[in-house]
Amino acid sequence: MENKRWVISLIAVWTGAIALFLYIPIFSVITSSFGKSRYFRFPVKAWSDKWYDQTLGANLTTDLHLTSFYVAGCVALIAVVLGFFGALAFARYNWRGRQFYQRLIMLPIFFPQAVLGLALLLWFTFVGVLPSWEAAVFAHLVWIVPIVTLVISIQVYGFDAAQEEAAYDLGANRWQAFREVTLPALAPGLFSGALFAFLLSWGNFPLSTFTTGADSTVTEWLYTKMGSGYTPMIPTMGALSVFGAIVILFGGYMFLIVQRRRRLERNE
Amino acid sequence: MVNAAPILRMVNLTKQFGRLVAVNDVSLDIQEGEFFTIVGPSGSGKTTLLRMLGGLEKPTAGDIFLRDERVNQVPANRRPTCMVFQSLALFNHKTVGQNIEFSLKMRGESRRARRERGLALMNVVQLPEDYYDKSVTKCSGGERQRVALARALASDPDILFFDEPLSAIDYRLRKLLEVELKDLHRTTGKTFVYITHSLEEAMVMSDRIGIMQEGRLIQIGSPNEIYLQPRNKFVSEFMGEVNTLAVQAGADGGIDCPAFERRFTSPVKPDGFTDGYLVIRPESMRFLNDPSEAENHLEGSLFNEYALGSRVQYHVSAGGSMFVVEKLREQAYQGGLNDDVLIGWDAKDSVLVTD
Repeated sequence: MENKRWVISLIAVWTGAIALFLYIPIFSVITSSFGKSRYFRFPVKAWSDKWYDQTLGANLTTDLHLTSFYVAGCVALIAVVLGFFGALAFARYNWRGRQFYQRLIMLPIFFPQAVLGLALLLWFTFVGVLPSWEAAVFAHLVWIVPIVTLVISIQVYGFDAAQEEAAYDLGANRWQAFREVTLPALAPGLFSGALFAFLLSWGNFPLSTFTTGADSTVTEWLYTKMGSGYTPMIPTMGALSVFGAIVILFGGYMFLIVQRRRRLERNE
Repeated sequence: MVNAAPILRMVNLTKQFGRLVAVNDVSLDIQEGEFFTIVGPSGSGKTTLLRMLGGLEKPTAGDIFLRDERVNQVPANRRPTCMVFQSLALFNHKTVGQNIEFSLKMRGESRRARRERGLALMNVVQLPEDYYDKSVTKCSGGERQRVALARALASDPDILFFDEPLSAIDYRLRKLLEVELKDLHRTTGKTFVYITHSLEEAMVMSDRIGIMQEGRLIQIGSPNEIYLQPRNKFVSEFMGEVNTLAVQAGADGGIDCPAFERRFTSPVKPDGFTDGYLVIRPESMRFLNDPSEAENHLEGSLFNEYALGSRVQYHVSAGGSMFVVEKLREQAYQGGLNDDVLIGWDAKDSVLVTD
């Protein structure tokens, strides 16, 4: 017993140390955004919220976040729809060429993103698409749809196809079986797929930098600014972007929970 | 009732998947209210046959008639039949009540009518009422069986199909559910078509049994007929452990067993019997003190014994083969392993089958 307590406390210390090591950089970015100094310092000596005043006051901040949000929102929506049908083909049905398809779909994930971004820019120019945030949506999709497909596939693999047959057998037509059985059973996979898509797009730099053209996302601005002249607005913007993503995702999650509550209450 | 028009008729029913013939020329009539069980090892085509009857698979050739109406092309959702799947296929994201009422919801029945019927069915399958709002994922194995059963009964189908629903359940619960299923068959009066790989399970529940082997229905009969008059070696061995001896029809009405260079007295021979197998059930085999106590005997030695609760099983090694003898516990063999023993049987307790 004594011995066991020892082991448990050792594990706790070890885990704490790892977490500290990994999270201190993130934590330091957030603290330095509240620092008075013009430079990135840790620990912070004097505190101030002036960088927040400056950042929040700038139109730039809203524009950057809106662009990031448009891109990530569109990517999440389209990727989930494509990924859902892609995952059904990937994991639910057996068809000629499925193995080839399963390998083909992985290809973009292995491709270095910077090269992929450049290739896409050249391709867009060739077919006459002007670089813009809409073009960036397509670029992100090339890389993110395969990932979302894989994420949803995991859920599809765990789905007992006999459930669909049972629905038919109990009088459902194809559409009813889909709406009543297949879709709700796969919903958790769709949710995590959307989450992945949104976050991967929100934080993406290499694809955006080549394809957004005149539009700029938060990550692009951060990177450019770091290269061309550091200002404490960088950690501030970074922190804001993290808060923003948390608010959007948490808000979306709450919305789903409230919806489900309401549906259950209606069923009572 | 036996001579009424069958509720379900299969005529030369065949299903091919590519070059594989899963179901081969099956013709069978099932009577209204019957508990019919199709038994076969895995890969014998019994599940494919059931899926065709339920409308989940289309026949390659042959016809299916439901009350004299040809239903080959009628999809599952328009057939007055319902299936309990091997995996049960419960809707895991729904509650017990929602699962049971699914078919009623598809029909557009009101929420109140659905709830009323759902609760009534839960009563029929002995599920407590407060399970109505419980998630099916929180139910135990036996409770899930009951939910699946109630769900299948909800649409009031003419025929219920069962695709080995008890195969993944532990022995004691399975025995209990077998009895409940048979009782449910009595109380509902519906036609049950059940498939299983366990002839023991089939014997307990069924009015009639059909044995399937490699896509063909090779014997149909009551549990007693199948038990007492298996048509071939496959059916006799499917019953569980039996003793089989390769034999030929001999002179003066006896049968010759080349392996033991013996002539045994013969039970009733099938028409035109020349060679085949003599089957003796373990419980028909006796230990003898003297060869004169039975019509036929063999000398061997007691190799091992196994306690089976109410019975004891013995393996006796004789002439290079192992014979199984089973006795009630009260009549257990009094002696030790490696004893030289005499085992024997009477012709009336044996059966002749062909390959």
